[in-house]
Amino acid sequence: MIAVDGLAKAFGKRSEIKAVAGVSFEAAEGEITGLLGPNGAGKTTLLRMLATLMRPDSGTATIDGLDVVRDRHAVRRKIGVLSDARGLYPRLTGRENIRYFGALHGVTGAALDARVEELVAALGIGDIADRRAQGFSQGERMKVAIARALVHDPHTLLLDEPTNGLDIMSTRSLRALLRGLRDQGRCLVFSSHVMQEVTALCDRIVILGHGRVIATGTAAELVERSGAASLEDAFVALLGSGEGLAA
Amino acid sequence: MISSTRPGDSALARVLVVARKEIVDIVRDRRSTLLTLMPAIAGPLFLVLILNLVASQTDRARELKLPVAGREHAPALVDFLLRQQVTLVAAPADYEARVRAGDLDVVLDIDPRFAEDVASGKPGTVRLIYDRSRDRARSAIDRTEGLLRAFNREWGRARLLLRGVSPDVANPLNVDARDVATPQSSGSIVLFLVAYYGIFAALIGGMAMALDATAGERERASLEPLLATPARPIELAAGKWLAVAAFDGLVVLLTLIGFHLTLRFAPLPAVGIPFLFGTAELLRFIVVLLPLIALVAAVLLYVGARGRTQKEAQANVSMILTLVAIVPLLPMFLQRKDPAWLSLVPVSGQYALLSRALRGENLPPLDLALSWAVCVTLAVVAVLLFARLLSRESILAGK
Repeated sequence: MIAVDGLAKAFGKRSEIKAVAGVSFEAAEGEITGLLGPNGAGKTTLLRMLATLMRPDSGTATIDGLDVVRDRHAVRRKIGVLSDARGLYPRLTGRENIRYFGALHGVTGAALDARVEELVAALGIGDIADRRAQGFSQGERMKVAIARALVHDPHTLLLDEPTNGLDIMSTRSLRALLRGLRDQGRCLVFSSHVMQEVTALCDRIVILGHGRVIATGTAAELVERSGAASLEDAFVALLGSGEGLAA
Repeated sequence: MISSTRPGDSALARVLVVARKEIVDIVRDRRSTLLTLMPAIAGPLFLVLILNLVASQTDRARELKLPVAGREHAPALVDFLLRQQVTLVAAPADYEARVRAGDLDVVLDIDPRFAEDVASGKPGTVRLIYDRSRDRARSAIDRTEGLLRAFNREWGRARLLLRGVSPDVANPLNVDARDVATPQSSGSIVLFLVAYYGIFAALIGGMAMALDATAGERERASLEPLLATPARPIELAAGKWLAVAAFDGLVVLLTLIGFHLTLRFAPLPAVGIPFLFGTAELLRFIVVLLPLIALVAAVLLYVGARGRTQKEAQANVSMILTLVAIVPLLPMFLQRKDPAWLSLVPVSGQYALLSRALRGENLPPLDLALSWAVCVTLAVVAVLLFARLLSRESILAGK
């Protein structure tokens, strides 16, 4: 369970770039919460604050009751993060990339072996697991990065545009994986600028624009509230203009 | 959920996990590993080349083979040179061109009017043809000039004596030069080389790795996920430092062992090296260089982490290393006895201690302790600064 209350973060010498300007929302367990917004809406900054990588200027956020600033070390153990930057170590094999993060999370020995096998099977990366990451395709890199984020069996998952660069088959299998994690009662937050991704997967949608929450609700609720015919129209109507939409 | 009280879940365990991964990572990077190990191999090879060069120069000076043109004009001079073990050969007709081309080091040309001039009381003329810009020829030139001066002196003395004048009247100054530098001047170059090379290995041994583990990690966008793990910035910094220092130490060790084996077993010319590089010296070198290795690893990581890309970091590191590499040369430019504070400055302090170790002296415990204290303190500061850099949000910026 994630609770975000009035979170704000600005950049620049005089804090003139307000990336996130007072965002509040909740992400429940057993649900996939989608952060939908155009590029530059503040999704990555918001997720970085939740992942304890950035300190909010104001506002609070808790994950399972732990504050992301005060209890950041405890928070890091509970969350799995697929950040915007998701580079692998090119000279390590896929398996070694996953194991490294497992070991940093304190998973070792037989438990680590078993967990890595489980993930390799679940993500269908058995054929590339022992190859160096150097030659991986974008989809293969993404799958290993996801396995790396899941290696310590986190209860909460923060995924920044996880389907970026994936082909249709990979996207479908990723969706199935994420639904499975949701059905185990985990809390998933998923950001995307692609509306179809969000509608296909998310139980609740938080629409972000210019660092603020424009609307929240299920897809049906959003359509109903805006009086539009489809979610796409609703999205444009709620944002107030069609500019900046990459979808 | 995974509980957090298992044996693999401590700060130390994470430090070791990071260190191990960095070592595996660099060893698999064949190009940087080769590039790093090259100096370790090149150093001893370089030493053999220099020793051979020194030896060939010494031989050339000892066995002077002097081409002479017009030897029939000055039989007394020719006799004198022969008495001095000089091998005289007839100079070819185009000797000037051949000196210019570097085929001949020096040629003595005796003026056809030599005997005539001497008989009429005028100085006889001999000409020396050489190219002093050729390092190789210098010892032959110096030796020939010295011999001609000696002949001049001997002849002059004889003339004075004939006239009943003491030769001392014409030589009021008696220069008695005594060179206390080293038993053999040739050896001092080698002394400098070995000490300098030990430091050089410490400076560049961990460079590629430190940049890969910092700026490389930023450039590959693997730093952000790493920072989101329970490994704290200080643990990441310590793990990376441990790996770079260990690798750097290995490069230094290989270089030194290379020197040790070269000086011991390689078929080296008898140049009279004024020092030993035995096991005791090897151990002293390691004791002196260890704190420097710790410091260099920490500084390289800090500077590397400031660069967004490897290229940027490399430029910064190259600049610093160039400056640092000059430090051991400073005393040369100062042209006086080293000031005391210089021995506290990292690199220069190590250089001074290494030179002493090579001369077979015991290392003064106070100097050694001070050099350790300075380096270790600075290393800790650099690791802490590196960790602070990793905990800054700005480290996430820029790919």
